[in-house]
Amino acid sequence: MSHLNREKPLIEAQDVAKSFNTQAGRVDLFRDLTLHILPGESLAIIGRSGAGKSTLLSLLAGLDTPSAGHVLFDGQPLDQLDDAARAALRLEQISFIFQSFHLLPELDALDNVRLPLEIQGRTDADRKARHWLEQVGLGARLDHYPAQLSGGEQQRVAIARAFATEPRVLFADEPTGNLDDDTGQQIIEQLFRLNRDTGATLVLITHDTELAARCQRRLHLQNGRLEEVHS
Amino acid sequence: MSLLTRLATRQLWSQLRTTEWRALLLASWIAIALTTLLAVLGDRLERGLLRESAALLGADLVLSSSRPIAPERLDGLPLDGIRQTRVIQFPSMVGRGDDLMLVSVRALQAPYPLRGELVTEPPGTGIPAPGDVWVEPRVMTQLQLQPGDQLEFGYQPLSVSRELLGSPDRGTGFRSFSPHILVNAADLEASGVLAPGSRANYRILLAGPAEAITALNRALQPTLADYERIHALSKDQPLTGNALGNALSYLKLSALIALLLSALTIVLALRRFSLGQHTRSALLLNLGLRPGQLIRVYLYQLLLAWLLTASAGVLTGYVLEWSVYRWLADLLPQALPTAHWLRWLSGPALGLALLVLLGLPPILQLARIPVAHLLRGDAPPRDRTALLMQGLSLLLLAATLLAFLQAPLPALGLLLFLLLGGALFGWLAQAGLQACARPLARRLLLGRLLLMRLRQQRQWHRLQAAVVVMLLTLLSVVWVSRADLIEQWQAQFPDDTPNYFLINIQPWQKDGVDRFFAERELDTELYPMIRGRLTALNGDPIKPQLSAEQQDHNTLRRELNLSWRVERPTHNPLVAGQWWQPGDAGAISIEREMAEELGLALGDRLGFDIGGVRVEGEIRNIREVVWTSFRPNFYIIFNPEALQNAPATWITSFHLEPEQRGISRELLQQFPSLTLIDIDQVLDQLAGWLQRLGDSSALILALSLGCGVMLLGVTLLQALEQRRFESALLQTLGVTADQARQLDLLEFLLIGLVCGLLASLSAEGVLAMLHQWLLQIPPRLHTELWLALPLLAALIFVLIGWLIRRPLRLDQCYRLLRAG
Repeated sequence: MSHLNREKPLIEAQDVAKSFNTQAGRVDLFRDLTLHILPGESLAIIGRSGAGKSTLLSLLAGLDTPSAGHVLFDGQPLDQLDDAARAALRLEQISFIFQSFHLLPELDALDNVRLPLEIQGRTDADRKARHWLEQVGLGARLDHYPAQLSGGEQQRVAIARAFATEPRVLFADEPTGNLDDDTGQQIIEQLFRLNRDTGATLVLITHDTELAARCQRRLHLQNGRLEEVHS
Repeated sequence: MSLLTRLATRQLWSQLRTTEWRALLLASWIAIALTTLLAVLGDRLERGLLRESAALLGADLVLSSSRPIAPERLDGLPLDGIRQTRVIQFPSMVGRGDDLMLVSVRALQAPYPLRGELVTEPPGTGIPAPGDVWVEPRVMTQLQLQPGDQLEFGYQPLSVSRELLGSPDRGTGFRSFSPHILVNAADLEASGVLAPGSRANYRILLAGPAEAITALNRALQPTLADYERIHALSKDQPLTGNALGNALSYLKLSALIALLLSALTIVLALRRFSLGQHTRSALLLNLGLRPGQLIRVYLYQLLLAWLLTASAGVLTGYVLEWSVYRWLADLLPQALPTAHWLRWLSGPALGLALLVLLGLPPILQLARIPVAHLLRGDAPPRDRTALLMQGLSLLLLAATLLAFLQAPLPALGLLLFLLLGGALFGWLAQAGLQACARPLARRLLLGRLLLMRLRQQRQWHRLQAAVVVMLLTLLSVVWVSRADLIEQWQAQFPDDTPNYFLINIQPWQKDGVDRFFAERELDTELYPMIRGRLTALNGDPIKPQLSAEQQDHNTLRRELNLSWRVERPTHNPLVAGQWWQPGDAGAISIEREMAEELGLALGDRLGFDIGGVRVEGEIRNIREVVWTSFRPNFYIIFNPEALQNAPATWITSFHLEPEQRGISRELLQQFPSLTLIDIDQVLDQLAGWLQRLGDSSALILALSLGCGVMLLGVTLLQALEQRRFESALLQTLGVTADQARQLDLLEFLLIGLVCGLLASLSAEGVLAMLHQWLLQIPPRLHTELWLALPLLAALIFVLIGWLIRRPLRLDQCYRLLRAG
């Protein structure tokens, strides 16, 4: 662990707090939370429902701002970036994989993967999209629409879409939550293989301990505190 | 195609699967079609009747008079460079064999017209030669005339030489809509149809260079007598002042309802649409689309939707316009010119305003969706600016609609009526629903659930009921009144109600006419008729003694028909004072409403100017007059001694059974100068107008009903998730799918029945008011409405409910509940 600490973290949370105003009063989801994520490592955040895993993820990805403290991406405090700069950061360096896939229903598999590449203005969008769909084993189903694909296949399209932009960080929020065990297992295999091949940083939210065990580090979010879990 | 337009196109097509997007497209389509119809038809009417008024007038300037115009009338006025001609127009009965027809005759001198042209078949120039007559197609058809046939015109048979297809200078008012015939002025005298005192309109048409006309107009104004008027191009009556203008306003008001419903449908469809776009927007933003780009995607989508609906709408508008024009064509004085091409853009322009004004606020809000919505399902922050913008857009839209309808006040009135009526009936319906459901709650298994459902959906029920009740009310009022208003009005008269008026009986013809009727055992009574103007009250000029409103009273603005009598007319009961005794010179009798409105009482002395002679009388009694009795009726009746020597013509009315029609023919053969007016024909013409107007507006209202049904669908969509969730919950708790369906059915059936009953009630109310105030006949109950409306409303609700809310399977229920 100590050798890792000497490397410069890619994502850094410094004394981060998040609280909400509810009808019952102010609720602190967590406070003084500190976290370093190194380039290329895979990290699982586990915890029970409502512990604030998704909120932590959205803070780390710059989708939300902390009530106190700072989140730094590559040394740059995210709260100092405006909306446009954060959108540019997401576009160039971050990808997401969601529990419910979130594919556009009117686009076929190829177009779904091509979309972020086209938004980036890349001229090789078509070639890249085909390449990544082949990587996830859907080379023969390029022109299928989401409604014509199974849940597992839809998630594979989403994975291809996430990797196609060659992100430095991949955030995955319960990626197998909507899939049966076998399909989930296949998806996991694919996700870790691609992660290994591309060297991207993977931040995973799950309450599946088996899935978490495959990550290099595991953090348990409980009662507003983040604790390293050692196997 | 750029990425953004490609995304927009894909979205447009794929969202066609959603009901809200389909409703939005349909609403916009109908709004554009209706606007196109009204803009194009309105423009054609205006261009036909107003803008091309030079051709319409047949001249640049017209001097019109209710008395013959002396040959030297224009002497001393600046006439350099000005051409002139004279026209006499009057109603008359013309005939062929046993058939008689009431027409408007124009007796012409060459040159005619001075502006515009006569369109005839066979084509040609000039005016009818002496002995010839040109008649309009309606006359040809009704009297079954062929070119070359003889038309009886007083003593003078005329030969039909041409069919008259179009002509300017049709005169004003109702006479312009009667079928016309043109004759040569030289035939008038021989025909004997025109006598002193005839109800004719005499005109001098004038045309020339603009400055000369202006100078002449200026010089003519101060010389105008009471009975003369000037019609000039610049101050021709506005379109709204005549029957066609009123018809157009009526159609526009009918359309207002459809436009409002479309706008409301679009607002609600957009609301639902944008709610459904949160995840998608968050995803697109997450994939790197900038908010500006996202706004552009949705704007492109709206623009594409607009392009689609504008094309379909203009095409539909074209078909509608063609059908309504066909409907009205044979009632129109002449073929209408085509509309200005810009008018074809009115519908699309309004559609664009609707979509962009109403669509922009929710779209702007989509661009502010947090991407974290994808992770946590966060709803976007409630945005006051968006609400404010939507409010402003609605106001702007209302202003656009009112401006477009060009009748801001009636439209505003109708708007208020709809809003207040809608609020009232919405509230009543909701209260009625609760009242009906409470007893059911005790008896039916589903009753308690129904009561809960009604409470939960009450705000949507209110809106749905308001829309359905107001729509069904308007539709049934138009439907019922279009068919039977005139019929009912006529049916109230006893069978022997006079159906002919005979006017222009000269003093020397009076005895002959009396004898004519006596020989045929017809019960008629001739009344003398003298024209005079009310000028003085109790010895002083009357106007300064009255309020401004009274000064504008109908009886003070024109010459009145006065009469004299020994006995009280039997159909005029007295409401105050006594009828006079012989020798009671200077006594007069006044009609009740006139006395009340001018504040006149028994004992007041009224002064009249009768052909330059001043005559005075004292009010001795007040009479009740039923103006619609089709008998000669007068505001003022004198004791005979005061008026006996004034120049009078005589008037009467009588009743002929259909088999006695020959009598009217004999009468005109013996006395060609008499003017015989066939009341049935006049009423038939009027009924024809109302019927077609009713048909056209029923067509528009049927489209409004279509809009209403769409709106209903969209309001049901708004709470669809809540309904599905509730239904899923009930099913997992043990309610069967059938019971869940029955609950829906019960709800829709109940609200439909309540709305139908309320609509029947309000339609009866409006019809009763029409009967009471407009027709002054006792209201009657329309049982067919009480049956049809509840059934129709229930059918509408059940059908839409069934279309929108298919039953859920149990596995779907479970998934729905798990997803929260």
